[in-house]
Amino acid sequence: MKLSKESILGLIALGTFLFMALLAPGFLSSNNINSMMFQIPEFGLLAIAMMVVIVTGGIDLSITYIAALAGVGAALMLTNGFGIFPAIIMAILFALACGAFNGFIVSKIGVSPILVTLGTMVLFEGVILAITKGSSISGFPDAYSLIGNGYYLGLVPFSIVIFAIFAIITGLLLSKTSWGRRVYMYGSNEVATLYSGVKNSKVLMKVYLYAALLAAISAIIMTSRYNSVKVDLGSSYLLQSVAAAVLGGTNIHGGYGKVIGTIYAVFVFQFIRNGLNLLGFHSSLVDVVIGSILILVLTMNFFSDKFKKKQEQKNASQAA
Amino acid sequence: MKSLFKQKEFSILAIVLLISSILTFVSPVFLTVGNLLDLIEGNVVIGILAIGMTLIIITSDIDVSVAAVTTAVAVSISYLFGFLPDSWISVLLLFLFAPVIGLVMGLFNGLLVSKIEIPAIVVTLGTLNIIAGLVLYITNGNYVNSTSFPQSFLSFSNIEILGIPILIYLLAIVAVGTWFILKHTLIGRSVLAIGGNTQSSVRVGINYQRVKLFVFAYMGFLAGIAAIAQTAYTKAVDPNGMIGLELTVIAAVVLGGANIHGGRGSIHGTLLGVLLLAIMQNGMILARIDTYWQNVVTGAIIVIAVSYDQISYKRSQDKLANIEVEA
Repeated sequence: MKLSKESILGLIALGTFLFMALLAPGFLSSNNINSMMFQIPEFGLLAIAMMVVIVTGGIDLSITYIAALAGVGAALMLTNGFGIFPAIIMAILFALACGAFNGFIVSKIGVSPILVTLGTMVLFEGVILAITKGSSISGFPDAYSLIGNGYYLGLVPFSIVIFAIFAIITGLLLSKTSWGRRVYMYGSNEVATLYSGVKNSKVLMKVYLYAALLAAISAIIMTSRYNSVKVDLGSSYLLQSVAAAVLGGTNIHGGYGKVIGTIYAVFVFQFIRNGLNLLGFHSSLVDVVIGSILILVLTMNFFSDKFKKKQEQKNASQAA
Repeated sequence: MKSLFKQKEFSILAIVLLISSILTFVSPVFLTVGNLLDLIEGNVVIGILAIGMTLIIITSDIDVSVAAVTTAVAVSISYLFGFLPDSWISVLLLFLFAPVIGLVMGLFNGLLVSKIEIPAIVVTLGTLNIIAGLVLYITNGNYVNSTSFPQSFLSFSNIEILGIPILIYLLAIVAVGTWFILKHTLIGRSVLAIGGNTQSSVRVGINYQRVKLFVFAYMGFLAGIAAIAQTAYTKAVDPNGMIGLELTVIAAVVLGGANIHGGRGSIHGTLLGVLLLAIMQNGMILARIDTYWQNVVTGAIIVIAVSYDQISYKRSQDKLANIEVEA
């Protein structure tokens, strides 16, 4: 039986879950399961956004600041007496503007994404600081906090439902639409893609817009959960989302990456983080563990690829 | 002379001079020896790190763990102070130990990038998490101030030769040393060759893995020296003090004209990039621009600089194609 990369990661996620359930006291308590369910969506959405960008061979370092700026947009509307719906629209508009800016410079001018987003990261951070003066905006209506804290049918958190919907949409967009196929094509060979009649710049532009949209959704969940917004909203997720995408099997040079892999990786991270916390590990050691896992998995990948190649050569020479 | 004007570094120099002359009008304090020396001394750490980063970016890689490595070495230094006697020999020993500690961490990055073939951004992201996490765990985030530093180190950091602080000499030594390596040694030429065209450089017999290992190890080595500079400059060790500094370092290198796709980049360009960022920061303070707007300006300048660079690069490529057609 042969398992895909993603299924193996799924088993690893299941393994970490069982491992933590056995080791960490209270890991399976309904309280803890609940708190994990509330933490997964915001991180998961950012990780998926990062994955889509990485599939094109790029990276979006500004993603968490796009989220924060979207959060500021929503907060400004809410604290000025507008309803929830206009606030959400404003968050999405703020994010799309940022995404369009990134997308324009990457796709039209052709600057490498890491440089553009490095610059826009500082830029967006500056814009947020200029708007908020470094302080936090808080005090949203109760109805708004339902998005991040409420339950659907009294059972599943709303945010998990939102996350599931966007995960499925992303999966469908990437695998079933022509845009999605072009994203993968661009990621594996942009020149060949261009010569096969694809408008590369359009594809790329949509990638950055879509990533920004997901960041906005994540921002809405985060602001609603914390009931406040600050310049560093979600900034700790930046490197983690890259790590999750890569651990999820996304090729950092582009061309390959699946939503389900990224979600499994997000689960693995969440289980480890939560379990180690319950076991009383210092929170900074969790970063050490996550970094080590990232490097370890990729090292094992390298050796297993090498092993496979050797086997194939052996088989080939035997056949000949 | 004409080629001098065409150089990319020249346009950065022009921008530096332009901003400087504007600032001189805005604030009479700007063009004083004191302010300029303060400005350079305050950016020695970024300068040293940016020089190391230049080599990595020339080989079209990136290292986001530099700030974490520097902090880790700085924390090690603060522990070393407990063991070393209070004499001049300790300061010399520090210059032996600190770069070696940095070198070991750089080698670890380099091995993973060159032998295991994991992309550098992922490797250094991982080591950033590991090193920063360990540093915070060990130090508990606690700040170490100069009361526990040996007197000899404090007096070392206050040395001035011809009125110029010692740290500026340190930066100059690193810059000239690295320039020499890049210009006149086999490994330095290999760095440029690999950045220019990996395939053909491998075909002429350059050991790709060794060069990759070298650039990351050298980055670690310089991070060790930068840690000494940081400790001497701030006269304290703050485990949280350098978070995010790697982005400033990368920005300075890119502003200085190094191309992230590799092959292009120079030490003097990078130094100009550091200077440009430093002058902007300094100028915005002198011009009393609201601190909250400073990031907007810095970010905008980075975006404009990289876009301009790309546009002019594309134009020069188009010209090349034209010449071929005419011939």
